[in-house]
Amino acid sequence: MDLGLAGKKAIIVGGARGIGYAIAETLAREGCELAISARSADAVKDSVAQLKRYDTRVVGGAVDVKKPDVYRKWLAKAVEQLEGCDILIPITSAGGGVGSEKYWEKAFEVDVMGPVRAVDVVLPHMAKQQSGSIVLLATTSAGEAMGGPQPYNAMKASLITWGKQLALAHGKDGIRVNVVSPGPIEFGGGNWEMIKDTMTKFYDATLRQQPLGRFGQPEEIARCVAFIASPAASWVNGAHLTVDGGFTNRTHF
Amino acid sequence: MDVKRQVKIERVAAEVAGNGTPVAKAPDPKLGYDRIPVDRYISRDFMKLEWEHVWTKVWLLAGRSDDIPEPGDYICSEIGTESVLIVRQPDGSVKAFHNVCLHRGNRLRPVGIGHGAENFQCMYHHWTYGLDGAIAHIPDKSSFPQGCPPGGRIRPLPAGEWGSFVWFSLNPEAEPLLDYLDPVHAHLSPYHFERMRMVRDVTVEWDCNWKTSVDAFNESYHVQGIHPQLMWYLDDVNLQIDCFGKHNRYLIPFGTISPRKDLPSQIPPPIQYMMEKAGMDPAEWDGPMTAIRKAIQRHMRNHGQAKGRDYSELNDDQLTDDYHYMIFPNVTLNTHADDLMLFRQRPHPDDPDKMYYDIWMFELPDSEKDDPDEEYRRPKHQFFRYGDKSIGLVLDQDAFNLPNVQKGMHSSGFQGLWLGDQELRIRHFHSVLDQYLQQGGAL
Repeated sequence: MDLGLAGKKAIIVGGARGIGYAIAETLAREGCELAISARSADAVKDSVAQLKRYDTRVVGGAVDVKKPDVYRKWLAKAVEQLEGCDILIPITSAGGGVGSEKYWEKAFEVDVMGPVRAVDVVLPHMAKQQSGSIVLLATTSAGEAMGGPQPYNAMKASLITWGKQLALAHGKDGIRVNVVSPGPIEFGGGNWEMIKDTMTKFYDATLRQQPLGRFGQPEEIARCVAFIASPAASWVNGAHLTVDGGFTNRTHF
Repeated sequence: MDVKRQVKIERVAAEVAGNGTPVAKAPDPKLGYDRIPVDRYISRDFMKLEWEHVWTKVWLLAGRSDDIPEPGDYICSEIGTESVLIVRQPDGSVKAFHNVCLHRGNRLRPVGIGHGAENFQCMYHHWTYGLDGAIAHIPDKSSFPQGCPPGGRIRPLPAGEWGSFVWFSLNPEAEPLLDYLDPVHAHLSPYHFERMRMVRDVTVEWDCNWKTSVDAFNESYHVQGIHPQLMWYLDDVNLQIDCFGKHNRYLIPFGTISPRKDLPSQIPPPIQYMMEKAGMDPAEWDGPMTAIRKAIQRHMRNHGQAKGRDYSELNDDQLTDDYHYMIFPNVTLNTHADDLMLFRQRPHPDDPDKMYYDIWMFELPDSEKDDPDEEYRRPKHQFFRYGDKSIGLVLDQDAFNLPNVQKGMHSSGFQGLWLGDQELRIRHFHSVLDQYLQQGGAL
């Protein structure tokens, strides 16, 4: 099946590591042109260099999504550099944390306003060309308890609601919006690698709950995101896809 | 080195350290790369040599000065087959003598700490000794026409105090204590251990040679193997090893992530804990992961006083890092600004495959957190065998490993330790041990 991604222009906010990088790599392999961002300049530089081996246009920028002006400027520049934007995947996250109010602020700024600001900048371009695809990344922790009551879970949950409503509002402009919720994903430099060493009991208990007996890998999320983002998924809109190897318990009727 | 990142650790400069703990790297001794022969870990003959040339020659750590503040307070300390009484004298000094009645050889006191003794009376026939070990009374003395044993006292032993610790030696000719400890006593005095309080006092019998245990704490090369969680808050690669005469140390950066790990996107829980302990809110942190260590140092420097802590003699790195000292032959000190984790390794009296591992933990009081109405209570000494109880995750990991190392050393396929540069302190320790064996006494 041809996904129809070749030549599409994609912006990935938070594309230098983990799931974000895997998405960037999958799209690059399919022939997308890419703009990626991350907070660390070194990480962006390394990732851009690695993605260029797929022989496609790749640009990058070191951006802190908590700084709205700089962030918006970069997004506008990315659209300019790519000469358009067909796909937007904003995946930034401040991660977990229980207790301090500061975690709410960070999760709001990074997990929520990161995507919101990106969508605001990109929507007019997509509306103008009457086509576009946006994929938001939430988490299985939005729907099922994980790691205690914390802003990460609640803020990610808000993306599921917002994503659906975006889909309803902008379908008329040929813009599809969908949400993907990954379960626990393990990779070098990822949180589960750290949890494995520092909170071994929690890691083992979570692993035991995995029907397939392992955690997911970034590429397994990336392939689903790439499909949903692609023209091959032209009739998928307002969907929320859980990609977790069967980890969550609830049956979706 | 098998690392994922090149890490440059920022260390305080020697000039900045001033008169406190020296930080300059000592030149590495040229000790070669020969195998360390395995006999010394498993042979009873070697054990006897060690007893003759090391244990009966060196200074040994007995306990805490503040455990015996008043005249007549004493520590009864055991090493190998010997038992020694170290007693606070009316003039405030400490004196040591063998814990044995000259009459029939009974031990005068059980091992441990005692308070307010007026004398030491043997349970057997009530021979009685003064606080200095001199015979004070022999019941029915006239029935000993030969008089009392020569000297009229239990043989005295050298005793002394340094750093709020009490020391003794089985060697009547031992050099002065501070000469023996040189230069480590000067390195450690800025920590002011006397301000710290004991919070844990445990002895575990381990199924390994005492040196198998000493070696385990003298290198960080094993962190990747048996302490994976430590790689999330210390740098096991960029440490500074220094050998000084008999003793040695390494300086391990804490509050930073091992170069063997990719940088995570979230602050690892153990570093979060360090930040919280210093009074920081990890949620507030917005800088790079690699800058946290210095930030903790700055925060402690600025806020230590509120907790009633005086860091004025410590350099910034000492506020986070582990300055890990080893006093030959058997004392390991994990020194930190707010606490001290001390290990003492003692040989079993007759089995080279067993040892006693003492854990003494000390902490500075925290005037912000401590309940002023709650009086400090010294923990009771606990003794158990390996496996009966947990001694904490990291030490459990070591404890689980060591009996297997000891068993492995009995293999005919193993000739000795094949040490690398990261294990220089082990090589240095064994070279000092060899010097004692060759010279048959004090260096």
